[in-house]
Order: sequence, then C-alpha cells, then structure tokens
Amino acid sequence: MSAPGRIGLIARNTFLEAVRQKFFNVLVVLSIAMIASANFFRQFDFGSSELKFIADFGMGAIFLFGSILSVVVTAQLFFSEIENRTALTMLAKPVYRWEFIVGKFLGVFIVLFAFVTLMLALLAAVLYWRESGLMNIHPEDFEDGRLVNYLGIVELAFSELLKFGVLAAITMLIASFSNTNLYTVVLSFFVMVICQLQYIARDNWSDLDNPLLRGLVWFLSLLFPNFQMFNVGEQLIFPTHDATLSTGGYLGIIAYGSIYICMLLGLSAYSFRNREI
Amino acid sequence: MSEPAIRIKDLTKDFRIGVRGVKLRAVDNLSLDIYDNQIFGLLGPNGCGKSTTMKIVLGLLEPTRGECSIYGVGSHSVKSRVNVGFLPEAPYFYKFLSGRELVRYYARICGVAKSEINDRTEEVLKLVSMENAAHRRVGTYSKGMLQRIGIAQALVHDPKLVVLDEPTAGVDPIGSHAIAELIVALKERGKTVMLCSHLLAQVEGVCDRVAIMSRGKLVLEGGVDELLEKEDERSLIVGDYNPEAQKEIEAVLEKYGAQLRKVEAPRISLDRLFLQHTDGSAIGSGQDVSDKEGKQ
Amino acid sequence: MPLDRDSWFFRTGRKAVINFTALFLVGLAASPLQKRSWGEVRTFQPELNLQDVESALGQGIVIGLLGGFRTLLADFVYLRANYYWEKYDRPNTEALLGLTSSIDPRPMYFWLNGARMIAYDIPVWRIREKGAWEDVPEFYRKEIYREQVDRAMKMLDRAEKFHPDDMRLPLEKARIYYDKVNDYEKAAENYKRAIDLPNAPYYAHRIYANALDKAGHPREAYNFLKNRWFTMDHTNRGAMPEVVLERIRELEARLDTPFIERLPPQPGETEEQFNLSPFGESTISRQGEVNFNIAPATPDPAPAHDHDHDHGHDHNHDH
Repeated sequence: MSAPGRIGLIARNTFLEAVRQKFFNVLVVLSIAMIASANFFRQFDFGSSELKFIADFGMGAIFLFGSILSVVVTAQLFFSEIENRTALTMLAKPVYRWEFIVGKFLGVFIVLFAFVTLMLALLAAVLYWRESGLMNIHPEDFEDGRLVNYLGIVELAFSELLKFGVLAAITMLIASFSNTNLYTVVLSFFVMVICQLQYIARDNWSDLDNPLLRGLVWFLSLLFPNFQMFNVGEQLIFPTHDATLSTGGYLGIIAYGSIYICMLLGLSAYSFRNREI
Repeated sequence: MSEPAIRIKDLTKDFRIGVRGVKLRAVDNLSLDIYDNQIFGLLGPNGCGKSTTMKIVLGLLEPTRGECSIYGVGSHSVKSRVNVGFLPEAPYFYKFLSGRELVRYYARICGVAKSEINDRTEEVLKLVSMENAAHRRVGTYSKGMLQRIGIAQALVHDPKLVVLDEPTAGVDPIGSHAIAELIVALKERGKTVMLCSHLLAQVEGVCDRVAIMSRGKLVLEGGVDELLEKEDERSLIVGDYNPEAQKEIEAVLEKYGAQLRKVEAPRISLDRLFLQHTDGSAIGSGQDVSDKEGKQ
Repeated sequence: MPLDRDSWFFRTGRKAVINFTALFLVGLAASPLQKRSWGEVRTFQPELNLQDVESALGQGIVIGLLGGFRTLLADFVYLRANYYWEKYDRPNTEALLGLTSSIDPRPMYFWLNGARMIAYDIPVWRIREKGAWEDVPEFYRKEIYREQVDRAMKMLDRAEKFHPDDMRLPLEKARIYYDKVNDYEKAAENYKRAIDLPNAPYYAHRIYANALDKAGHPREAYNFLKNRWFTMDHTNRGAMPEVVLERIRELEARLDTPFIERLPPQPGETEEQFNLSPFGESTISRQGEVNFNIAPATPDPAPAHDHDHDHGHDHNHDH
C-alpha cells in the first residue's frame, strides 16, 4: 500500500474515532445556541443591524468553539493513541512515523472541516431567514439588494478552516514532544493567545529604541504565525466599499495558512521521529 | 544457512532519566539469533529488558549501540516490518471499532490486496475463534478476547515472523491454553514465533528454544529439552502400585549401581484439572447473549 | 564543565533551537506574503485606543479585545447599554455607548444610534426627572437639550475621524441641530457637508433648502433649489420633483421674484396658475404669508404642505 493510502486510512480512522466518541454532540448544542441567539436579537429593533449582531455572535461562537475543538480534539486523538498503546501496534506495522502524524492531522482536519462547514451553513441559513424577514419590515435598508454576501461565507469557510488547521498543527507539534494531554492543551492555548496577539509586536517592533529589545521583538514576531490575518469574517460577509477583501489578499491568507500547516507538520514528524513509545 | 529471522548483535540500550540524563541500562550487550520456523521464548522477570529488546527489534525504540535485523533488513527501516506481525503487551485497540473493522483496518494498513481483505479477515477471525464476536465493539471485549483479536490483527497479512509480548498475561487458563495451541499451530504453518513472557510454566510446553534474561543480560540460551532434562535421571510412572514390588525394584536397581531417589504420587497440574472440568469448546468466547440471539 | 550530550538540557535545547530556527525561517520566508495580506486586513481594523477602554474594562478583557474578540465585545457592551437605556439610566447608558464605539469604531450603527439616544431620548428623561413636562420651565428644557446635543455632537465628531467620507454623520448632526435645538445655521452647514459627499439622499437637498430658509437665507435657498431643479433626476420618485417645485414656487412668491427670473412653467403645472404678463398675479400664495399680489387670491389648490414630512423617517432606534 502506498503512503497516501496509509495516510488516508489513518485519517479516516481518526475521523471515525472522533465521530464515535461523540465529539459532534457539541455541534448540536452550538446549533441550538445559534438559533436561540438569533431569536434573542429580534426583541431589539436593531433594523438591518440585527444581521451584524447575528453574524458577530455566530462567528464569535465558531471562533471560540473551533479553537477549543482544534486543540482538544488534536491532543485527545493523539494521546489516546499513545496512552492506549494503539500507536505501538500501528508503528510496529510498515508505517512511517510521518505518515502517522500526517494521517492523524488529516483526521482532525476532517473533523474541523465538518465543524466549520456545518456551523457556517447554519449561520448562513439563520442570516437568510432573518434577512428575508427584515427586508419586509425595513425595505429602505435593502434598497441595493441583500446585505449579506453569501458567497463570502463560502470563502470564509476556507479561511476559518485554515486558521483552525494551523492551530491543530501547532497542537500536533506540541503533542509530538510533550508527555501529557493536559500539558499539550494548556501550552497550545497559550501559544494560540500569542499568535492572536503577536501582530502587536509585528506592527510595533520598529518603534522601539533599544536595539537589543528591538531585535528580540522582531524575532518573536516572526516566530509565531499571525492569527489576526484570518480575522476577515466581517469583510467577507458584509463587504462595503471601503472594507472589501481583495482576491489577492484572500489567496494570500490561504497560502499563508497552508505554508504554516505544512511546516508545523514537518516539525511534528521530525520531533516524533525519535520519540520513545 | 539463510538469514536468521531475527539477528540481535551486541545490543545495548540506555534510557536517560531526569534532568541530567542519568543512564539506566535496560539491555546490556545482548546477542541473539532466532532462526526460521522456531518458537523462541525470551523469558525473564519483569523489568529484565525483554520488552525493550522486542521494541528495538520492531523499530519502536532506537538502540544505543549494536544492531538488530529481521530477515537481514535493519530494524530501523520500515521495510523490515513488512513480514512481521506484532501483538503488544496488554493490547488496547481502537475501542470504537468492531473486531472485524479492526482486523480489516490493520489488513489494509499492512497492504493486503483489496480482493483478499475479506477472505484474510474471516480466516484469521476463525483461526482465533472470534468470528462470533467480531461484530462487537472492541471496547466490550474481555481480556482474553482482546488478546485473541490482537493475534488476529498480527496474523492478518500472513507475516513470516510473529512477535508476541506476554501473550498469556492476565488470561485465564482456558484462554492461555488456547493461545498456546494457536502458537503451536502457527509453527506448523511455517511461521517463526518470538514470544516474551515472565510466566515460565505456561511457555515451557510451547517453546523450542528459550533465552533467559536478567538485568538486561542474557544469562542462558538453548533448546528447552536440552536445558531442562537431567541426562542421567528418568522417572517411572507405575500403575497398580505395590510397595512389595518397590522393594524388588530397588534391589534390581542396586544391582546395576543405580539408586531410587524419590517415590511420590504423580499429580496433574491445576491447569490441567481446570481444563478437564470446563467446557473446552467454549474457550474464551465468553457469554455473548446477543450472538446467540442474533443467530436465531 | 564538559557538555553532556545526553543531559536533558542538551537534548531539549537542541530540539528547541531546531524548532525555533525552522519557525523563524518560515516566518521570514512568509513575511512578504503576510505583509501583503496583513497589510490589507489591518486597514479593516482601526487602531484600538487603549486608554479609552482600559480603565473601563480591566486587563483581562483588553487582552480579549486585542486577541480578536473586539467585534463581539463591542456588541456585548452595546447590548448592555441598551439594557440601561430601557431602565432610563443616563450615566450608564452614555458611558457604555461611548465605550462601545471606542472598542469598535467601525459600525456606523453604534455611532448613529448612540448619538440619537443621547440627543433624543436622554433629554426627555432628564426633563422628566425634574417633573412633568409643562412644569419644567422652557429655558431649562432648552438648556438640557443644548447640553445633550453638545454631547451627541462630540460623539459624532469622534465618529467623523473614523468615517470622514460618510454622509450619514453630517446628516445626523444636521438633523439633530434642526429638530432638537432649532439651530438652523448649523443644520444648514451640516446638510451642505452631507450633500457634498457621495450617496446623500434626495431629501437632504430639500431640507438643506429649508434650513437655509429658516436660518434667514431664503434667497440662497431659492437659488439652491432652482439649480437643483435643473440637475436632479425628475424620473426618480424619491427625488420628489413636485415637492421641490412647490417649494420653489413658494419661495418665488415670498421673495417676490420678478417673473422673468422665475422658473418657467413646468409640465403638470396648469397654464392658469401662471400669468406670465409682467403685471399679472401669481396664484401661488399661502395663508399667513405676505401677499404681494394685488388681486384677491384664488382658493389655494394645494393643501398646506408639511415642509419636512419626510424628515427623520428612519429613527429606527426607537424600541
């Protein structure tokens, strides 16, 4: 059997584990919450801005739970292999360690894909429902047609997926050398916060006077991927004349995420290569 | 002679412990050859280095010094594992899969051709008498069943060499008896079997050759018969025992310069007694009510 | 001390160096890409004024803000402001409205509705606190309105820093000046700014003329409307050409514009409404207005027209 075949098998098995471990129950809860929140905003007469509130809360929920899912599922599915010694059985087969890492990651990636597509599809449905309702109540706000760019939601699905993919790959790298699940989860969230905030260092290192500090901040700003790059949901869902993401910018984000995923997986495989199981 | 199934040469493995990397020598300069179509027992107490040796042979650990090869291919190479089936100690498998799914999964990972997967899977499930429980989730299996599904996955790609780590640990006598029979059957099919165990009595009747390790070192190696037999002693088992006859026999022995050293009533082992009084055909298949109901 | 290659420090250090170097190199290699995309994404996110929000929120939430929960937090604070608004709690409502727009200055909705609450609703609460509407002396009511309008203007001034080209802000200012403190001079000034920006609505032009008129510049109002008449799109219902024409005629009458200078009769206007002879009479007159015509006025065919009937049609902040 070829390497892609084995990776595919491991990925499928990982995904199956996530499904049968009922990770997806969280989706049901989230979906109910999303629909409930959309109903909640109806009590205020926000006009067409109700859509903004629904989208903000929907995307906030996707970001929050997507991040948790990326870190926890990756760590859980990795360490269940180590702790249950199934990795031992697997690696005693003619399977390369990098295939194991990539397969595990792809399995998690499919879980994240399912999460992102289902949640964004639901968000789109809720927005469509409310938008249609609001168009009857406040027709003057919709003189130029619908406000929500539903194609932008499709684009957003990929950029969100890439963001969670980078986070899952970071978790995989940490898991590849750490000994416990808990440590991996905590450290991954810590790194995530740094990645969320590193843009501050990236944008400001040149303002520092002390050359040593300046160099350090510059170094740190390049060490971690910039998660704020993926913060384009609003521009994709509600493009306006002064805030529309260009195709080049969008593709840049996708490429950036892909490069980081490949790199982090390479490092995970390297670090996992000599791990004693 | 062709390449041995497993060749271990001058193998040393140190573990680094703690912040300063203090060394703990698990395997100390071990050399061992295991030849084709043998049942080889690597024996010794817990912590003597047998599992470590086995992991190094399978490429799961890197040796500090020395080398291992399987049929002439170095253990560090993934290719060396193509012809190996491995049953880990106290195996846990993906609990969310059914027994059949698990065996099929490993069959595909090991590169069994698609057209053969079904046949191979059913064959090994039958071999370990798990065909009736194969639809159940692995999470519901008893320890003996886990061990047998583990053997099934180790055999599914028809490897030349089978490595079993503590195959009978924690398994009831019926189960271990069945496993022992299975191991002998494997040899008859032309396989080489290497097994690790600290339950010496259970492997005694199975192994052709054994090696005994202690504190990482090889202390004894040889054929079971040659190691255990006392060359100049024999025991006679007498039916319709008569103490008068014994005296005459002693006299005859004395005439030839031999002595009667010990007279005792032969005992059967507790294992054997247990096996005689339990239903051998039900070995290890457990009480699967749903099986029986399902078959109606 | 010789370097022990097997020590934890050496092994971990080596691993860390390899990983960090690799990540750094990727960061370096991907930096043109990130400059391109982040440069664009960053323009969507105005700089956060930390001083404004830090004291109000505390460190933990500020990190959340910086970490990408900015929109969501602004929404939360705005909902909270609405909660206080329902309770007629003036200090909290105003403070949270200010905080909302500090956290996320992008949504126009926060600015406009914040200003409306401050200028339209809070004066009513303040007056009510002093007693029944009639019991509060008028100068006092006016003073309260003046104060609240000033606050609303401060908010909208801040908004214009973030949205200098958005006509909705001067439009909102003009409307507040017009309605709440009857400051027509300032209203006209802001309507002018609004209509000079792109996408200004049609009614802004009409009300600009009203404001000019009320501020004591009827001639300018007339000239503006006349110019407007020639440039506007008469087929668009929203432009309400009939209302513009009516206003033009009204001003012509009031200013006693010589007929030769007046707007020629337009389609839809009946011939008998106009007497184009130099000494003729205009039938367009209004009750209570100075009538320059000698002849007795014929009954007014047009009903008294509310000059700003379409004014403030989207006060959608009312709950």
